[in-house]
Amino acid sequence: MEQLSHIWFFALKDLKIFFKDRIALLFSLLFPFMFIMLFFFLNIDGAAADPRLELHLVTQEAVGGISHQIIGAMETKDESLLQPGEAVVVWDKDYNEAVRAVEEGELKGFLAFPEDFTEGVLMGFGTRLEVVTDPEATYTRAALSGMAQSIASQVGAYQVVNSTIVGLLVGQEVNSPGDMVDIGQIMQQLYSRQGGDETGETFIEFETDKVGDIEAESPSNYVVPGYLVMFVFFAAALSAEMIVRERENHTLERLLASSVKRSSIIGGIYLGTAIRGLIQIALFLGVGMLALDMDFGRSPGAVILLSVLMVLMSSAFGIMLATLVKTQRSASALGVLVSLAIAPLGGCWWPLFITPRWMQFMAKVTPHGWATTGFNKLMVFGGDFSSAVPEMVALACFGLAFAVVAVLRFRSSASS
Amino acid sequence: MPEEFLVARNLHKSFNGNNAVNGVSFSIHKGEVFGLLGPNGAGKTTTIRMLTTVLEPDRGDIEIGGHSVRQDAEGVRALIGVCPQELALYVELSAMDNLVFFGRMVGLNGKEAKAQAMSHLDLMGLADRAKGKVDKFSGGMKRRVNLAIALMGHPQFLFLDESTVGVDPQSRNNIYETIEGLRDEGMTILYTTHYMDEADRLCDRVAIMDEGVIIAMDTPHALKSQIGNPNQVTLEDVFLKLTGRTLRD
Repeated sequence: MEQLSHIWFFALKDLKIFFKDRIALLFSLLFPFMFIMLFFFLNIDGAAADPRLELHLVTQEAVGGISHQIIGAMETKDESLLQPGEAVVVWDKDYNEAVRAVEEGELKGFLAFPEDFTEGVLMGFGTRLEVVTDPEATYTRAALSGMAQSIASQVGAYQVVNSTIVGLLVGQEVNSPGDMVDIGQIMQQLYSRQGGDETGETFIEFETDKVGDIEAESPSNYVVPGYLVMFVFFAAALSAEMIVRERENHTLERLLASSVKRSSIIGGIYLGTAIRGLIQIALFLGVGMLALDMDFGRSPGAVILLSVLMVLMSSAFGIMLATLVKTQRSASALGVLVSLAIAPLGGCWWPLFITPRWMQFMAKVTPHGWATTGFNKLMVFGGDFSSAVPEMVALACFGLAFAVVAVLRFRSSASS
Repeated sequence: MPEEFLVARNLHKSFNGNNAVNGVSFSIHKGEVFGLLGPNGAGKTTTIRMLTTVLEPDRGDIEIGGHSVRQDAEGVRALIGVCPQELALYVELSAMDNLVFFGRMVGLNGKEAKAQAMSHLDLMGLADRAKGKVDKFSGGMKRRVNLAIALMGHPQFLFLDESTVGVDPQSRNNIYETIEGLRDEGMTILYTTHYMDEADRLCDRVAIMDEGVIIAMDTPHALKSQIGNPNQVTLEDVFLKLTGRTLRD
């Protein structure tokens, strides 16, 4: 109990100092908003010129392939029936022409089905959908990626059903393994008949709400989370300077010589840093929602939990950084350097889904990359809580790793 | 025979192979003001950091109030107050906030912490500046706040490490009077200083350290008697005779 009160008093003291420091307040709370507002308005100007998103689909398969059924089902037949914000789906007939159009800037992007799509799906070889976009077409890329993900999961489910039926038939010796190709062709014909033009229906169910959550008129959905991640981490990294100052000013030594346990001191520092971070995210999300029309997506709880995990991880990083440096100057220099280096790599300055694959891979080594991917899933791609669980787990692991190093290093650095 | 409140036995501490403290032993009686003197780099601060449980000795042990720093550091910490050489306070906060914070950290409740803080600030002549931000205080005022913090929780043993460095005569006199008052109340004090007149005035006994060992330990009067007429020689004469006139780092 006494230890908990020590942690609380320490955190309270740090908050008092924080709120008395006008420059720290300006940097942590006001400065981020200047950035967000600036980039929000820059983005919204661009978005205003594109009232309805156009999504182009192309197939390289011969007529009769499953991809024709899918595109036929998704193609917008009557634009007047679309809901506000819903995308227009256009069927482009020529792959090479579509590529040329993207290269020359006539088209922002398209989703292409390969020529072996049906074979790959039915025979279980696997297949690969291709998203071709102009690097600057953020929304188009986001929408097409979401659409590709949806198609992949739906088709994948049918492929499993198909394989299971064939497996059962072979198991009961109704058919031999060599008949699988024949069965696949029969099922394809069956599907084609079922989803033919006569009925106007298709065996592929496509949920437009997967991509319907993309709101071109709300760039805050990725601008705010990106800057939230950057500035929360930045502020926590700079709190390392405060911790080093405790050591340099000998207040840490004074506390260590009193009946305060080391764990209470580190806990207090952590709590103080975390509370400052929570205040930051409350302001970020609050202003984002109320003033910038930010949409929390299908799972606001997941957005909040992801934000809190980001704060907890960043606070642990700040303490770890403090235990690795000797002086206030090196703490602030390293804090700035690390924060600025990781932010673009982790997708804080631009959405990760528009970056090259190698950059997306690199982002995985940063907590920022996981955090922004999680926010994008929830707030751009319309994912639910479960879709962001891997990112939450990754952030928790980063936080735990930083905390372990911090605790191990704190003892020696406190008395050096 | 006076009761020994602090006993240090054969303390050793080295950093990167350099012996900072090399076999220091001494004891301090209850209610005594004990001076630990020595030139820069003599090992005084390292000794104090071991006595205050911040550093663990490589060898040897320390007992304060019957508690061993090795076996019962918590018990030792509950008895001591530390006023470090540096201004170990938060300049962004008011004097009152500083004292209350450290008071809460030594286990006082809110009411007790506020009452003690006000009483100690009054003792240091800072009652009217209690709400003032420490950053705006003069060097002497900051030193007095630094000492007031060490008194929070009414410790039985007080460590004062060069508490009067860089303060004006008025503040220094206030600190002297405070220390004398604390001694009269029965507090045991370990005092380090570079000002020999201070040690002569305040300390019942002094130990002079050099190169990690104690080279002399006695009352100021007895030490002065060793080199001449105690009424004519000063403790500084004794100090220079024992530690030499060579400049130190």
